[in-house]
Amino acid sequence: MGSLRKLLLKCEKPSRYTGGEYGAPKPEWGKFNFCMCFPDLYEVGMSNLGIKIVAKSFEERGMCADFCFAPARDFGQGLKELGVPLYSLALKAPLKDFDMVGFSLQYELCYTNVLYMLELAGIPLTREERRGGNYPLVVAGGPCTVNPEPLADFFDIFFIGDGESVDADVAEIYLECGGATEEFYKKISALDGVYVPALVHPEYGKNGETERFTGRVKKALVSDLDGAIFPDRFAVPNCETVHDRAVVEVMRGCYRGCRFCQAGFIYRPVRKRSVKTLTRQACALIESTGYGEVSLNSLSTGDYGKLSDLLKSLKGALPPEVTLALPSLRVDSFDGEFAQDSRKTSLTFAPEAGTQRLRDVINKDITEDEILKAAESAFDAGYSAVKLYFMLGLPTETDEDLQGICDICEKIRAVYARKKRQKALRISVSAATFVPKPFTPFQWERQADEAEVAYKQDYLIKHLPRGVKFSWSAYYPSLLEAVLARGDRALGKVILSAYKNGCTFDGWDNLFFEEGWKKAFDNCGICAGQYVRERTEDEILPWDFIDVMVDKKFLLGERKKAYACEVTGNCMQGCKACGLQKNCPAAKGSYDCV
Amino acid sequence: MIAFKYTKTDGAEYISHLDLLRHIDRTLRRAHIEVKYSQGFHKHPRIFMGNPLALGVRSVSEYCAVDTDFCGDFAAAFNAHSPDGVKCLAAEYRETNPNFAEAIEYCRYEAEGIAAFDTEEILKRESIIITDLRGRTVDIRPRIFSLERHGGKLMFTLGCGTKNLRPDLFCSYLAENFGGEAAYILKTDSFGSNVF
Repeated sequence: MGSLRKLLLKCEKPSRYTGGEYGAPKPEWGKFNFCMCFPDLYEVGMSNLGIKIVAKSFEERGMCADFCFAPARDFGQGLKELGVPLYSLALKAPLKDFDMVGFSLQYELCYTNVLYMLELAGIPLTREERRGGNYPLVVAGGPCTVNPEPLADFFDIFFIGDGESVDADVAEIYLECGGATEEFYKKISALDGVYVPALVHPEYGKNGETERFTGRVKKALVSDLDGAIFPDRFAVPNCETVHDRAVVEVMRGCYRGCRFCQAGFIYRPVRKRSVKTLTRQACALIESTGYGEVSLNSLSTGDYGKLSDLLKSLKGALPPEVTLALPSLRVDSFDGEFAQDSRKTSLTFAPEAGTQRLRDVINKDITEDEILKAAESAFDAGYSAVKLYFMLGLPTETDEDLQGICDICEKIRAVYARKKRQKALRISVSAATFVPKPFTPFQWERQADEAEVAYKQDYLIKHLPRGVKFSWSAYYPSLLEAVLARGDRALGKVILSAYKNGCTFDGWDNLFFEEGWKKAFDNCGICAGQYVRERTEDEILPWDFIDVMVDKKFLLGERKKAYACEVTGNCMQGCKACGLQKNCPAAKGSYDCV
Repeated sequence: MIAFKYTKTDGAEYISHLDLLRHIDRTLRRAHIEVKYSQGFHKHPRIFMGNPLALGVRSVSEYCAVDTDFCGDFAAAFNAHSPDGVKCLAAEYRETNPNFAEAIEYCRYEAEGIAAFDTEEILKRESIIITDLRGRTVDIRPRIFSLERHGGKLMFTLGCGTKNLRPDLFCSYLAENFGGEAAYILKTDSFGSNVF
């Protein structure tokens, strides 16, 4: 430990690596030992609710659950030099000693970090290299696993869908079978939400197109969210994290059906927790952590029917100084009383597109009037800064839509001017490049190329009203995100090669190594562009064997409606028959929770 | 106002000053010790810490003051809810803010691992010029108040606050000049008004 101590003193934020957080469970080796790994920094991972829920699901069954996060490059390099394998946070045990190491894949640009962590742990990266060796099961879950193929070479098991029970079910079967036997894989692959890539062999055609699959995997679905596992205590991180506060999950899923939004489709149907449960969970967390803020998380908290009741109940039950954060409020549900941030500094809206026409194309069911009204009530509530999020490169976008973004800024400014406030208004516009994702009505779309995106960014730089702060995302990371999201098994070697070229932390602007990726594609003889081309509607898509329970026909219908500028609206205005009717409370007319 | 003395050991030495402030705030909330808030636009709890301790240096002599009307057993309540290594050693009621950041003038430390050298000789020097972490040259001699060796342990008193000298920086100077490497630096005492 002496040399590790020296390393801790040399590296940035050593408290990321020391464990011993207040309130952290103190795991002990048990019948089954699971290490929940997060392929990004401690500050990011410790803010994630999903991994806490998964770890809790193992604990509930008397199994051991520890955590591990990707060490920053300085510490990772130090571990390598010392020959110390990557260790878990609480037990300080090498990852190799666990029965299962599970990675949470929250975004595509963390894929090389999985390899980075495995290598630091001394675990061979590919399934092939691990075969026959005494290594833990290497598994993955999280939203990215709806298209697991790009990572199929590296993982033994993918968990698709809700992780509350199936992950630990698999551990039980592992114990029954006495290890990762053939029988084990056969048994688990029969479960919903379990994908064993070794048992599925997609066949690719001459041009890399998918020709057929053997097998189909349905996502795991937790129907009773109110009764689902939820941690009653969080480990309080040693150093400040990106979302350093208590979190409750108000709903899972979203009624809105915005056509670009993958989460809006893969997390269907909408399930809710009750006011009573949420109040109990929030109080327990504040009591056990001492946090001063509770965040009410979901994809669209404004659509929680009993939001006023919930806020009232929380205000009555929590200590008075504890503030509430509502991070995902839609424009049309904003109302002075539901401040996003207790400090009333800046308010963020996501109109996503500049004109009504384009908002109709993406089924972002809000009008300019609603945006302006929301801005006005924000100003009345004391805000003097707004942040606006848009996407560039949406299907059918023209210059007129870009001009629309500029016009919205002008109109918001006019609303503010009428208030005759002393403080100057601050508007910032942030434009991301559209990434067409699997399981959305836009899964067939091509992604705008570099020249198109540059043109659109230029247009805004030239035409946005003076004084508006404009920021945009770099092109190549967005391309890479699209490629990895829409990829197939052939990408495994590209990811491996990029990692070998020194790519890690691809989601971090300052650490992104574009050359490393470009070289990787070249070396593997793979053209990144082929993955972001338009797909024909009769093509078999690499992710078609995964069943997220939304009908492909429904998605196609939505695509047609998009091109016809037709709004579908949201599920609260009536069921749209997306394929989940049997499992959806709203489809049966129930918009309330128990 | 309650003034208290606490430790920063057992892993807590890797927690930064700002993070430690957050931990104390959360510990107090968990312990139901109600802290008064400032009345500004950005309200913050009235917790007043002493000077920051260099990362990695352990201490059994940190000081902090909290504005509260709490009248129970502060140390017991605090320790029942504080993270490992951050433990209250003593607490006293104060009429006014003891302002530890300014009140503490010297601190005593011990360290192991530095090779033997003539401590008297160092103290006889008139000036000792080093380059600090920001690349500035400073004379640290006026900031060294004692230096002696007891067995394997080096003990020394350094200035704190306006005449601050970081113990880790001092130890690296010694290690560079006399060999060895400082391990387990520990702050054992603080001196100045208001300490206890």
